[in-house]
Amino acid sequence: MTTELDSSTGTELAASMIDVSKSYKHFKLENIHLSVQRGTVAGLIGPNGAGKSTTMRILMGLVQPDTGTVTALGKSISSSEAAAKQDIGYFSDDMQLYKPESIGWHMQFVRSLYPTWDEAYATQLLDRFGLISHQIAKGLSHGQRVKAMLLLILARRPKLLILDEPTNGLDPVAKHEILTELMRVVEDDSRTILYSSHNTQDVEQISDSITFIDRGRVIASSNRDEFLEKWKRIKLHAPETWKAPDVEGLRLESCHRNLHVLSFSQFRDQVPTQLHEPGVVIEAVDTMTLEEIFVSSVMRGREGSQS
Amino acid sequence: MNLKAIRILFLKDLFLSRRHLFAYFVGGLAASALACTPNATLAFVGFILVMTVAIAAGIHLIGTLMLAETTDQTRLFVMSLPISLLDYSIGKISVVLTTYLIPWTAMFTCLIMATFVMGKQGNIAVLPAIFLFLLCAFMLQLVTAVVSESVGWTICVMVGCNVGMNVFLMQLFANAEVAEVVKSDVLFWPNIVLQIIGVELLIITVALATAVLFQTRKRDLI
Repeated sequence: MTTELDSSTGTELAASMIDVSKSYKHFKLENIHLSVQRGTVAGLIGPNGAGKSTTMRILMGLVQPDTGTVTALGKSISSSEAAAKQDIGYFSDDMQLYKPESIGWHMQFVRSLYPTWDEAYATQLLDRFGLISHQIAKGLSHGQRVKAMLLLILARRPKLLILDEPTNGLDPVAKHEILTELMRVVEDDSRTILYSSHNTQDVEQISDSITFIDRGRVIASSNRDEFLEKWKRIKLHAPETWKAPDVEGLRLESCHRNLHVLSFSQFRDQVPTQLHEPGVVIEAVDTMTLEEIFVSSVMRGREGSQS
Repeated sequence: MNLKAIRILFLKDLFLSRRHLFAYFVGGLAASALACTPNATLAFVGFILVMTVAIAAGIHLIGTLMLAETTDQTRLFVMSLPISLLDYSIGKISVVLTTYLIPWTAMFTCLIMATFVMGKQGNIAVLPAIFLFLLCAFMLQLVTAVVSESVGWTICVMVGCNVGMNVFLMQLFANAEVAEVVKSDVLFWPNIVLQIIGVELLIITVALATAVLFQTRKRDLI
């Protein structure tokens, strides 16, 4: 396997997309740059229709980009490149099993295509997920279908997992079971997960790095801890006519009478000093949740594209 | 091209269509047997049933094996496996064609043998032309399904082919040479029948090539 390295950090990459674009009649994915480091969990967060699924399908070779380069596990991805898919496990919420057939039949079918299929692990997963081999796909609940699909993916021991909204619509217990299993997967340092969701809590729970995507564009991408560290919210009291100073990364989130709520994407210790002026009283400097950071990033991106 | 993957995909679809395939095979044999009875009315009913089984099998197998993978969203599951578009296309077109050809061949062979045994050997000359017309119709529907991936368009072509089948049979039996051979106890091949068979084989070849070409040139698999 050819190893691909991140040009800026020198770390080994499991997947990368460079300047990838794809146009549809009513949607456009524009200049996507995405790097997923090997042995990490990368979260892809975006609202519905942001382009998460298209990005993942391009990375899997299911959709061909109009422009750009896509590489996974050191191999160039294209629809004809079946070998690249040998070590990649792909899940999409849109995927369905063959309704009249059993989970066991699906296991047998997938096993015939994968020399790396781990039967003992598959049996373990059946047990952990509470599934029965002879259960017919037609009778599975949504949660059982997702678990069965993940079993079929995990038992082949893929080096890269591309999971498109795997916890969407799951009850908290099923969600916990799946996230726990994914955490087990990444205990092996050579395995990588790219995980998309519009639920920031799920992504925050397991991701090392996070990319925000909206309206077909990557709007922010960073290490999870960096996101949480750099983004702060400041509540301050100031006259209604007060204008926020021109500080890099500042956005006025809301203003109610004399209470102003500001968000900072690049908070530094000197920011409160920069805001200090007569009549301005800083009430609190708070850490933002990933969801708040995501919403603020999306709004900033949209304002930027409108101006 | 990965022959192992193609074989696995082929067997998977063959297994998934096993019940339908069995029903069409048995139904086709029963209709053929009825078509071979000495009673003219029953034989006519049997012949109509043979046509019906051939047409129904074609549209049903294309629908369940090809179009349903898109509507049932199982194609995304299959395409996430380590198979190329070429493997998928060859596997899919082969299995659809094979599953159709099983009842088609059974009915054709049964009718040829019965005609031979019953002594009306002149009828043997028209059977290939009729059965190849059915195969042509199936191939046109298959190409439409591959190119458009639309149930609606495939049904439109099926309707057109069914209308065409009636016109074809009327024109075929209205031909003097054909009328003569059908009444004859001795087999001979009128020129018009040979020409029809030639055109039908050409259509089948072109349709098959078009289906493979279109399927393998698709850029997006889902």
